[in-house]
Amino acid sequence: MHGIEAAGRIEELETRKPPEEYNFEHFTTGVLIDDAKRTIRANGICAGEIAPDFELPKVGGGTIRLSDLRGRQVLMHFGSYT
Amino acid sequence: MIRQAHPGPEVQAYKTFDEKKADAEKFSREDNYSYPVLIDDVEGTTHQVYGGLADPTYIIDADGRVAFYCLWTHAPTLHTALEELVKQDGRGVVLGGVHRTPHMLSSIADGWRGLKRGLPQSFVELELSAPGLASLPWLGHFIKPLLAPIALRSRPIPPPVKIGMAVGAAALAVVAIKAFIGRRKDTNGNDAYRRM
Repeated sequence: MHGIEAAGRIEELETRKPPEEYNFEHFTTGVLIDDAKRTIRANGICAGEIAPDFELPKVGGGTIRLSDLRGRQVLMHFGSYT
Repeated sequence: MIRQAHPGPEVQAYKTFDEKKADAEKFSREDNYSYPVLIDDVEGTTHQVYGGLADPTYIIDADGRVAFYCLWTHAPTLHTALEELVKQDGRGVVLGGVHRTPHMLSSIADGWRGLKRGLPQSFVELELSAPGLASLPWLGHFIKPLLAPIALRSRPIPPPVKIGMAVGAAALAVVAIKAFIGRRKDTNGNDAYRRM
């Protein structure tokens, strides 16, 4: 990512996790508790806020930059392989 | 594409971007997604900025603002939210802007797809963390065609159908209660044997 808002915003995030903790090797009760806490606090970007911009590589090649989609409605889902 | 949610011997936690990219390609191909699949960096920068939850979906309006945040991705709710957004000409907050309820039924019907990739570790760890959360999707995948019409619907259930389902459930309960009372009477009425 280059010069994109999301990269800057993560620095000030209280809930930021270091890479080794973010990429946990074992699913534990702690992961569930963390999810529950995040649900109660509704961690994330609130309705009405500008969605922080990012540019990410796409499967099949190329990248997508969120701000390039201005003028359109975007549905963005965060999913995992497992 | 975010971190490995349920690691296993064949699907370990990502250490490099290339590992994550390879899984994103498999994910896109195996699950046959028609929409673009983006790959977050290995630190999970975008995912963490957007809340770091396991399964969230955002709807972003035409001005680039968050219109709706569905913390646990519920398709019928998202469907209604999108309909509202279209009515508002693609701009503004819809349905109060947030939906926090974890909907487990779709995970039970379809969660096995992801979980089975990390066997046996993924199953054991999830079951130990929350008994039922792994075994129910395992059971669910056998009866997926039965659960799908309700659990995997993309549109909300229309109110008349909801009323119908409630009446059906109530009727079923009445029949069950009657049968139960009937059985108890039968057991008490074992006098029949004594009378003989």
